Amino acid sequence: MLALLLVTSHVQSVSAGDRELGQYLSSECVTCHQITGKAIEGVPPIVGWPEDQFEAVMKSYKEKERDNPVMQNIAGRLKAEDIAALATYFRELR
Amino acid sequence: MKISRRHFISASASFAGVMMLGAPSVIGQAKPRVVVIGGGAGGATAAKYIAKDSGGAIAVTLIEPNAKYQTCFHSNLYLGGFRDYPSIVHDYAMLKSKYGIDVVSESATRIDRDKKEVSLSGGKTVAYDRLVVSPGIDLKYDSVPGWSQAAEEVMPHAWKPGAQTLLLKKRLDAVENGGVIVMIAPPNPYRCPPGPYERVSMMAHALKVAGKDRCKIFVIDPKETFSKQGLFQQGWEKYYKGMVEWLGPKVHDGVKSVDPASGTVVTGFETYKNAALVNVIPAQMAGAIARDAMLANASGFCAIDPTNMKSAVDSNIYILGDASIAGDMPKSAFSANSQAKVAALMIRGELAGARTFDARYSNTCWSLIETDDCVKVGGAYEAKDGKITASSTFVSKTDETPDVRKQSQAENMAWYAGISADIFT
Repeated sequence: MLALLLVTSHVQSVSAGDRELGQYLSSECVTCHQITGKAIEGVPPIVGWPEDQFEAVMKSYKEKERDNPVMQNIAGRLKAEDIAALATYFRELR
Repeated sequence: MKISRRHFISASASFAGVMMLGAPSVIGQAKPRVVVIGGGAGGATAAKYIAKDSGGAIAVTLIEPNAKYQTCFHSNLYLGGFRDYPSIVHDYAMLKSKYGIDVVSESATRIDRDKKEVSLSGGKTVAYDRLVVSPGIDLKYDSVPGWSQAAEEVMPHAWKPGAQTLLLKKRLDAVENGGVIVMIAPPNPYRCPPGPYERVSMMAHALKVAGKDRCKIFVIDPKETFSKQGLFQQGWEKYYKGMVEWLGPKVHDGVKSVDPASGTVVTGFETYKNAALVNVIPAQMAGAIARDAMLANASGFCAIDPTNMKSAVDSNIYILGDASIAGDMPKSAFSANSQAKVAALMIRGELAGARTFDARYSNTCWSLIETDDCVKVGGAYEAKDGKITASSTFVSKTDETPDVRKQSQAENMAWYAGISADIFT
């Protein structure tokens, strides 16, 4: 735990998103998505994705280009900086 | 004293890890204390997130009398035969070992808000700087004439999990073909708005699978409408034709009395005699510990500040989950878990100088109607107009394809795996 905190705090300086914001917002995601990155049928893993891919997927839900209403609901209120923060947070969890 | 301690913690927060290793004696004196009452989806989540994200800077005590936690969520799937019982039972071992939470297997018997202490059933007291109260519901045993706590052994509620869940399943499995089941549905507000109707679906499914399709389930409802009504009624007609009859208050004119000994339910419209099973889901209120501490208002539930989940009457106390008045949010495990994360952040902000953000809440409730046919309702919520207000909502549509419904059930199962991991591991 300590090691994780130190490592991620170091990485923060080269990351795009606000890590503390990402950590708070991520708590909403891990109600369904496994924080370990484990894949479970029905809810895909979201840990370790490239940030641009994560952001593109979230944007597609936000703009309702993808169908799932649960994700549309979650993504709908996220601002660009929220999505960037989440993308950074989940990439670093890898 | 309090200001200097907070200042100290705040100034040192970024070095919390170093402090853990280098100066335990200082920490031992300065560590703020959070006590959490109730180890369910609200309390256990709050305890975990405070302990995890404070990196040891806050001492967390979780008071929960049950060594094992059986989830109310997905207990309907156990009734329907879609889950086995062990799969809905969890324990607190990892909250102790991984996050250092002091899990106390006793009941909280009293909150002394002036002294900021909680009394335990074993006789000791625990002091707090901040208290999280997440006791869930108590049942109003006097809300159904003729029913009582003693009668729950004969006419089970199974709205608080554990022995009641097992009893209801046993009684359901014992119903013979052609038997009559009466469910008395609860008035608003209550735990899990779609829960009674998913339960009806799961009962009908279990009966049908067992070849008992001449059974009939009557739902005596005090409400004019209910959650996902169109979806459930469509499903009952499609899968359980002739097996389910829902009666609203204009039709049944109220439950006048029940007689547990004879299996009788008397309504203003009809009397059901010799019912094979009567499932009484009574009116509800916040758990006694919250009401006894004068945290609840006349409604029986506890008003909160929607920006942080603090009690409206005590700024040292946070109220989570079913016991709270959470505006547009339903009383659900998902809601409690969501509220707990907001409270955990705000508590870390108060006690450990953590950066805080505006509260955001969310909820989704999945309900299984029949194999691979699952529907959902949900929303995103924020503090607005003095309450927790929905900023967006959604509900499944009646014309969804079978693939969409099947996918929703996969999501439902994955959500359970997700939230139980989120709470307990």
